[in-house]
Amino acid sequence: MKKNAVILLLVLTATILSACSLEPEVEKRYKQENPLVADIIIPETLSHTELSTFEVILQQEGAEVEDADFVHFEIWKQDGSIKYGMEEANEIGNGIYQISKRINRDGLYYIKVHAGNNGSLIMPQKQFVVGELSENELEFLQSGAKVENQTEESHH
Amino acid sequence: MEEVQKKSSKQSRASLYKTVWRWHFYAGIIFAPFLLILAVTGGIYLFKPQIEQALYQEYYEVNPQGEKVSASQQIQEVKNLYPGAAVTKYRPGESAARSSEVTITSGEETLTVFVDPYTGEFIGELNNDDRIMNKIEEIHGELMAGTVGDRIVELAACWAIVLIVTGMYLWFPKKKPHVMGVLIPRFKKGHKILRRDLHAVPAFWIAAGMFFLIITGLPWSGFWGNNFQAIATNSGLGYPPSTWLGSAPSSTVKTEDIAEVPWAAEKLDVPTSKLQGFIPLPIDDVVEIANREGMHPNYTITIPSEKDGVYTLSVNPPKVKDEATIHIDQYSGAVLADYRYENYGKVAQIVALGITLHKGTEFGIVNQFLSLLICLGIILVVCTGFYMWIKRKPTKEMGAPKAPSLKKQGPLLLLIIGLGIIFPLVGLSVISVWLLDLLIVQRIPAVNRFLNA
Repeated sequence: MKKNAVILLLVLTATILSACSLEPEVEKRYKQENPLVADIIIPETLSHTELSTFEVILQQEGAEVEDADFVHFEIWKQDGSIKYGMEEANEIGNGIYQISKRINRDGLYYIKVHAGNNGSLIMPQKQFVVGELSENELEFLQSGAKVENQTEESHH
Repeated sequence: MEEVQKKSSKQSRASLYKTVWRWHFYAGIIFAPFLLILAVTGGIYLFKPQIEQALYQEYYEVNPQGEKVSASQQIQEVKNLYPGAAVTKYRPGESAARSSEVTITSGEETLTVFVDPYTGEFIGELNNDDRIMNKIEEIHGELMAGTVGDRIVELAACWAIVLIVTGMYLWFPKKKPHVMGVLIPRFKKGHKILRRDLHAVPAFWIAAGMFFLIITGLPWSGFWGNNFQAIATNSGLGYPPSTWLGSAPSSTVKTEDIAEVPWAAEKLDVPTSKLQGFIPLPIDDVVEIANREGMHPNYTITIPSEKDGVYTLSVNPPKVKDEATIHIDQYSGAVLADYRYENYGKVAQIVALGITLHKGTEFGIVNQFLSLLICLGIILVVCTGFYMWIKRKPTKEMGAPKAPSLKKQGPLLLLIIGLGIIFPLVGLSVISVWLLDLLIVQRIPAVNRFLNA
């Protein structure tokens, strides 16, 4: 009798301690999103005299996005001295969209892609360096400050 | 023959009554202090919105004037004032006359910094540990004693169900139902009857409400609640992952594609190629996304602290239908998950509604006062129950009714086993008591006599 009781207590304690946890991929049982995924490709060498091509590869649900709702590029210099406004990108197929720009001054730059397709809107931005950084730019980077948003206006 | 049957059935009914009474008696004495604490703190916490509004009015209210300053500027102001602190949350404020809040952690402390969104100026700071309502909540949820406290509260809540069920049995009229002493206390039948009626009659009136508060509070509990939520979520009927249990999705951007932040050295300590890469979205973009997605104005933005973390928009609005949790990729701004009340599983929808009712926010002031009435009722019933015991208690004994063997009490045994399975903590405590009885109480005559076992 007593022995049974102890066994019962142990079993119950064990069940209690082995608490339930969530199954992997349980989110598949609930509402899912199909976010756009963007890879922004910046040319390895940026010439001061010739055009450089900036690309974004868009994917959604594992496939390249053809004929996206919109893809716009925006490029500006960190100190605000150079601003290329929002510009529509050219689609060249396989989910690749591009623009060409001539960047003729050294420094710290940002490129931001605004893209939308099938309900997902994204606005990733990448930082890139042309030539040498100025002292101010170096200081800015080291302060770890967040970048000021240079978006002129939203177009949603 | 018939006579004998009648007599034995009467006897067994009397002995069942005694057993139920005994369970009610001991459970009541042990858990009365906790139920009292829960009712008092709960009754206060119901009025959190009004209390905090009055306490922190100087921090909350601002003078609307012109355009608001951007979120990033407000946060920058806070960063300047608290260098070295990590900014964890930003709450824009639900109305034009409400300040914004920036939550920061600095060492062990979590501070809420209030900012005037029109001037970008600092209004004041509150240490979250100093907030009286946070303390009340901590007592209500875990008696300020962490996990141990949480389990005690849960145990008290589960045993309160046992108290309700056994209490209802004791209250149920044995003879012809009569309004007096059942629905209305008898004031003119002597003190003893009045004491009983002042416990049993109000208890009947609040039983449903008390049961409701217990059931709606249990999903919060650390043990039963967590398991319940995990089972519900796994089955697709619960809260979507990350809204109660589970983690948020992570960013779709690969770590090597993220720009590095150099340390504050005189020279650049990382190659420029490492500086090239994705950088986190400015918080102003996140505010814009929140507006675009139609968040309830009460929302808060949780700022990621990890490289693969996400911005999370979340809101705990008064009404359950406005609940929402949205996870946003911190580099691309893509909505990775968007869970609204409509996207909860059926079970979670009921639980979530139970929670806003429990907190007294769903139906505003009416909800608050109804719940307060139940809390006051619980306080009254706990006190009259305790008073009844003090009045009856013999000096050298607990004064519990004699315990007949539980094995002969089929229905009660089934009830206890049933509750013990649904609420394993109850089961565990019943088994512990039983072992205690078997190993100690039955062997030491003095203890046996004291407990009337």
